[in-house]
Amino acid sequence: MLGRVFLIVATIAIFHAAFSAYEHLSQLKALERPEGQLPPDIILETLFALALGIIGASLNAPPLKEITWASEMRKHKIDDMDSRLGFANFVNRGRNISSQLGQSSQRSAKVS
Amino acid sequence: MSLSSALQQLASYRANNTRASQETFKKGVTILKSRNAPNLGEDGWAFLEQLALASIDIGRLDVADECTKQLSEKFPNSPRVAVLVGIRKEASESPESVLRYYDGVLEEDSANAAIWKRRISVLKRIGKTEKAVDELSKFLDTFYTDVEGWLELADIYSSCNQYTSSLQALSHALVLAPQNPFTALQFAETAYTAGDLPLALKMFLVVTEMVERDIPAPEDSAPTGISVRAWWGVKLCSRRLIESPPSSPSASDTPVPKTIKLIDELATERVLTSYSGEQGAEGRQLVSQWISAY
Repeated sequence: MLGRVFLIVATIAIFHAAFSAYEHLSQLKALERPEGQLPPDIILETLFALALGIIGASLNAPPLKEITWASEMRKHKIDDMDSRLGFANFVNRGRNISSQLGQSSQRSAKVS
Repeated sequence: MSLSSALQQLASYRANNTRASQETFKKGVTILKSRNAPNLGEDGWAFLEQLALASIDIGRLDVADECTKQLSEKFPNSPRVAVLVGIRKEASESPESVLRYYDGVLEEDSANAAIWKRRISVLKRIGKTEKAVDELSKFLDTFYTDVEGWLELADIYSSCNQYTSSLQALSHALVLAPQNPFTALQFAETAYTAGDLPLALKMFLVVTEMVERDIPAPEDSAPTGISVRAWWGVKLCSRRLIESPPSSPSASDTPVPKTIKLIDELATERVLTSYSGEQGAEGRQLVSQWISAY
């Protein structure tokens, strides 16, 4: 939540600084003064937006996951690891039980 | 239950090879009804395949037919769709006609591993176990790295009580998937069933080490998940080895560890700790009674 707020504030600040720099430069061009240094407050705003954006992005990052193989294996269950779906038998008694779902009772009469 | 969370759940089922057919069917049918045009992107086809298999599993062949129709329209000559059509045929036709269909597909493309596996599965289902084992051995000679195939071979041998052959197949699976504690646990339990207690003890200890490898101080926390099963195995093996030291050496020439009594104490402590939280409250009484009886 806080990270997202920081990110939004940083984005607004950077757009604001960019627009101010553009306005400043177009003002200089209109007055035909040579292009000098940007005013220091625009630079400060940009750096502030950068720092706030970095903090916001770090706070907004998704939770860290573990990297060891053992921690990955701890998440699995034995039924999933041993499921052997390539050889799985899909013809079982379940089709005769689920007769209230409709059509399967007719088909179970066809197959012995 | 929103569509996106249902889709996420189904994607996790696909990634983990879970076979929860009733759940998959319930969630999948709502997704199927809700979408008029395939707007799920690339995952949509994998989802259709998953839903087709789940519907065949629970007997709703109408839903399976619809999914298969959509898939075969999109991918006309795909080997994967041929497997799905074959499974659908298995559910309604006689095994001989299904085997003829699979033979036909294999004649056109003899490297279709999935069709070969289905053929072996049909042979096992109709009871021709010897033929299934022969075909499976030929399959594994061709496709050595198929861990699923080695596990299936071990399962068939175990069901026929040929535990030595089962252990051989499991050791191939262990070579191919060395960091998988589940395969090592199956190896340990098969060795225990075969009567080779020192080998079973060694493999159970290997499993506990594999599972607790990244915990800095495993003695401070209770074992969870598969390590409870492994510590139970250690306790059973060490108890039997202490009570009646085996007269004949183990079939695999594994020596009994000299510190067997200490291992027994450790296993007792670990098993009792794993039943000490609120999760283990129901079994705690029985477990402590059983342990104190020896």
